[in-house]
Amino acid sequence: MSRSVWKGPFVDAYVLKKAEKSRESGRNEVIKIWSRRSTILPQFVGLTFGVYNGHKHVPVNVSEDMIGQKFGEYAPSRTYYGHAADKKAKRK
Amino acid sequence: MDDRVCVAAIAGAFGVAGEVRLKSFTAEPAAVADYAPLTSEDGARSFEVELMREIKGGFAALLSGVETKEQADALRGLRLYAPRDRLPSLPDDEFYHADLIGVAVYDTGGAPLGKVRAVLNHGATDLLELHVPGQSRTVLLPFTREAVPTVDLTAGRIVADPPEGLLD
Repeated sequence: MSRSVWKGPFVDAYVLKKAEKSRESGRNEVIKIWSRRSTILPQFVGLTFGVYNGHKHVPVNVSEDMIGQKFGEYAPSRTYYGHAADKKAKRK
Repeated sequence: MDDRVCVAAIAGAFGVAGEVRLKSFTAEPAAVADYAPLTSEDGARSFEVELMREIKGGFAALLSGVETKEQADALRGLRLYAPRDRLPSLPDDEFYHADLIGVAVYDTGGAPLGKVRAVLNHGATDLLELHVPGQSRTVLLPFTREAVPTVDLTAGRIVADPPEGLLD
């Protein structure tokens, strides 16, 4: 069953506090969080979070199209490397 | 930078007509045939590749010089390589993983941060996984203009300006 709309999106309170503090400071820093269950809100766009995957903090640059997803979706707890072959990386 | 990249591997014979089960490692799996002829790791053997159909976990393919099931079975586990210069050139700010892996990374002050071990993408930006010298741990660096201002592949050097707290 999906979450009731009247409750609004779930975010752990400490994530909101840390994000607000980082935005006010204006520093280029990684906001370390352990809350993989928190929803990505519009005010997080442009910030970099370090989302814990059980082993390390995975840097996640939040962009507009990530709003509404959960942080944990961008920090998988299992890593598969595969082969490089002709795969490409784009610097954004 | 290696002059060859591994693009496929042979998982064994497929059927009895001399076809092989080919596992493609390319971003677009069917594109593996575009890089033919492919060579073995030691470069001793060379194969033209014809993809016959898609099967579970790869393709059924015909390789030149392989006509029987026994010959196909003998190739099980063989990795197939394509020359690096056969990969198409890319626009600015796009790089092949194969080119980035192994490149040394320095901070803006010139201090070494490590070497690129892998390039990952979990849905947000691409990430460079750096192997920190003298340590068993790795560090993930976002592959953005802010965090990675300079990529000089000819000099084999990447300059990074990691955000605060990333290397802790």
